[in-house]
Amino acid sequence: MKIRKNSCGSNIEASAPTAGQKRFLRHQKLQKLYIFWSRILIFAAFLMLWQVSADMGWIDSFYFSSPIAISKLFWHDIADMSLLSHIGITLLESGISFLLIILFSLLTATFFWFYPSLGKMFEPFLIVLNSLPKSALAPLIIVWLGTGPRTIILCGISVGIFGCILNLYQSFAQTDPERLKLIETLGGTKLQAFTKVVFPGNIPTFISLSKVNIGLALVGVIIGEFLAGRKGLGYLIIYGSQVFKLDMVILSIVILCVIAMVIYGLLNLLEKKISYTE
Amino acid sequence: MSQNHHEKPFLRLDHLKFSYYSNLGEVTVLNDINFTVEKGSFAALVGPSGCGKSTILSLIAGLLKPVDGFITFYSDDFSAPRVGYMLQHDHLLEWRTVYQNITLGLEIQKKKTKENLELVENLLEKYHLSNVKNQKPSALSGGMRQRIALIRTLAIRPDLLLLDEPFSALDYQTRLNVSKDVHDIIKSEQKTAILVTHDITEAISMADVVFVLTKSPCTIKDVIPIEFEANGIQREDIRKSSLFQEYFDKIWREMQDENTEKQLRQQY
Repeated sequence: MKIRKNSCGSNIEASAPTAGQKRFLRHQKLQKLYIFWSRILIFAAFLMLWQVSADMGWIDSFYFSSPIAISKLFWHDIADMSLLSHIGITLLESGISFLLIILFSLLTATFFWFYPSLGKMFEPFLIVLNSLPKSALAPLIIVWLGTGPRTIILCGISVGIFGCILNLYQSFAQTDPERLKLIETLGGTKLQAFTKVVFPGNIPTFISLSKVNIGLALVGVIIGEFLAGRKGLGYLIIYGSQVFKLDMVILSIVILCVIAMVIYGLLNLLEKKISYTE
Repeated sequence: MSQNHHEKPFLRLDHLKFSYYSNLGEVTVLNDINFTVEKGSFAALVGPSGCGKSTILSLIAGLLKPVDGFITFYSDDFSAPRVGYMLQHDHLLEWRTVYQNITLGLEIQKKKTKENLELVENLLEKYHLSNVKNQKPSALSGGMRQRIALIRTLAIRPDLLLLDEPFSALDYQTRLNVSKDVHDIIKSEQKTAILVTHDITEAISMADVVFVLTKSPCTIKDVIPIEFEANGIQREDIRKSSLFQEYFDKIWREMQDENTEKQLRQQY
């Protein structure tokens, strides 16, 4: 029994690079470098302009601070360990909020997938809660739980959780029914349909939801710290603005930027690692 | 309804009826379906799209329950028959390698025994897929993917194969090649198979017997044994033969009659 070659298709093979191909590759590489260094340059120019404006008195450095003042404060606060503990607290609270969001959403969405009528019952409530501006809940949470880390973590959870449950549930529910039929024809149970098809098929959704929700957890935690914190970057921002230590406010914001960037980068790496296509 | 060259019956459908309820009332999909499929034969169900062909397969596979009638399997040892199902799309899971896709059925049935895994290796070897077994399916062509889907079905050692328009998502050229490959594989593994299709040429070129179906409700209009070998026509030449054309015209006419009758009924 012979199987024809043309029905299985051969892999595309890369041929030896020609002169044109080499030129194309070099051009692509240069373009990448050009974009990269331009970004660095734009950032450096911004810092310089800021510093010079502050030095020359074009802007009031009391309100706008300056890169040098901020970095001095940074080294000072790093040296006396106070900054690190603030950063640590915010990161810890955001991390816990994020993990709880993911865990709870996963459990709820899975439950709804197994019992779709329950999912339908709860969907409108989730939609309403999701469209609510969650910062409105924060004062209520403070009254219920007092000030402290519990309140802050709950604030962090409240921002993302409803959307996360909704998205994950809807994405589970949209699994191709033919694939479920495949499992059924192979003699599989509903649990097997979930573990073999629904869950693995939704890992990309899961990762993109994680990307969104780690940001939302950070937002919620900062809101919580504004209102109920005694430590953390959100507390530093509010405290700094109240006592007009704007160096401290801007430094905290810069650190938040860096945290967001690092987390985003890590999640991108993770996404690349798990993606299906090679 | 039986043919001479396959003496043993394998599956019999008696007065099979299926209907469901909708807002408009009861919809009868199948009405009084009767047919017999012999052991080792390849049957094709041909009919207009949406006539309930796939429903027959779902009933045979036990995914749906008939409203009335019987489905009887004949076996030598009273064991329940294993049914393998091939769907319109290959549905290879893109996060699994080819090998992991093929063993999906065994994994689900918790039958990843040494014997069964050996069978998988043999099938891969025999049908020239060993070299891609560690690749992800996204790297492969449509025809190859459909062949892998067939092997995934064969891995659970089915007694009966149900093919639900398995080539309709492929382009014409690939379709000709893959339908031939699938036919040859099923024949060489000596499986009994039922193919559902709306493509008359596909039915004639693959099947030993063609059942022509009518639409809403679905009943069997005619049974046409396909006998190329008996008439001394080689498999490679069947599409070119005049007999092929004869079969085609016959089935085509029967499906046409059906359509014109319907139109007349709608007009008056």
